[in-house]
Amino acid sequence: MNLMADILLNVTIAFLVGSVLFGIQRKVMARIQLRPGPPIIQHLLHTMKFFIKETVFPKTAAMPFYVVITVILCAIWVAAVIVGPVTQGPLLLLFAIFAIHKIVEHNAGSSSGSPYGKLSCVRAVFSAAAELPLFAVLIIIFLQTGTMQLSTIVAYQAEHGALIFTLPLAAMMFIALIISKSYYYSPLNITLAKDIVSGFETEHFGMLRGFIMISEAITWYMLLWVFLTVFFGALSPLMYLIGMVILTALIGAVNALTPILNPNHSVMTEITLAFIGIVGSIIMMFYI
Amino acid sequence: MDKIKSIGWIIIVISAVAILYALIFNPAAWIVYAISLIFIPLFILSLGLISMAQGKKEDDEDKTKEPFIGY
Repeated sequence: MNLMADILLNVTIAFLVGSVLFGIQRKVMARIQLRPGPPIIQHLLHTMKFFIKETVFPKTAAMPFYVVITVILCAIWVAAVIVGPVTQGPLLLLFAIFAIHKIVEHNAGSSSGSPYGKLSCVRAVFSAAAELPLFAVLIIIFLQTGTMQLSTIVAYQAEHGALIFTLPLAAMMFIALIISKSYYYSPLNITLAKDIVSGFETEHFGMLRGFIMISEAITWYMLLWVFLTVFFGALSPLMYLIGMVILTALIGAVNALTPILNPNHSVMTEITLAFIGIVGSIIMMFYI
Repeated sequence: MDKIKSIGWIIIVISAVAILYALIFNPAAWIVYAISLIFIPLFILSLGLISMAQGKKEDDEDKTKEPFIGY
């Protein structure tokens, strides 16, 4: 297939599937809390609605950075789609993209001029200290497979079996990372916690919010895609879809049943999980 | 047509041309990656700039000069 067509197709799929998965997550959370919940396509409807809403650029915003940051957010996750489903390239690049995502959260908050955004911007730095060790899951995968290339990791699993069985603690670390990036009432996502309204997104409304929501849907799809590819190997599109729905429902249940942790507790929880995951995985690899 | 909409139309035309170029002429991979990273986000942004609603001119003063009385 033509490379550009492949990229456009994968970005569109990532956006549409990611949006519907968010709907499923909200539905699961609502049913657990005995509410009917919004329709499954709510995220998609909201995204479209925001594109035709009135958009005002606040006087306190740092222009043009306030607008450009939304473009950067989208660009980095388009890059993730290229590194992931399109080329199955190096996993290390995905780590870099995730690190840039933290910088984007920081800058989106600081560029808005809102006190909530600024608080979220500080939290983005704070949480990076905890989330980046969780991403050290990549080192464990490298130690086990001897490669950072996604295509080779998939080939390794075709020969030796799915990594989820050999590296369960690393999978647990990655799940914690996905929970920390989950958008609806996550116990670990302190940058978007409801005590600071909508965190770094608070002052991005109207079509800029719609744009951010497109990037969020792609982010969610990509995080689940990476998890399934790294821990289960080559899957058919249907199996990817089933895997993503199950993971989203599980994370929805976690979010519905846990309190939103304050920043200190959230960071300590993530660092503890990272420590258990790294040390436990290394012990399992070399001594079991 | 106001400034924002004009910028939106200019960006959408440039991004559409760049994306169509990559689709039709299939250039080297690195050029396609560069076009994707720059022009897919810009295309979406320009869609937003064109489709977004804008407030009435006569409301502008209320939005900027009126002291905040929301509390």
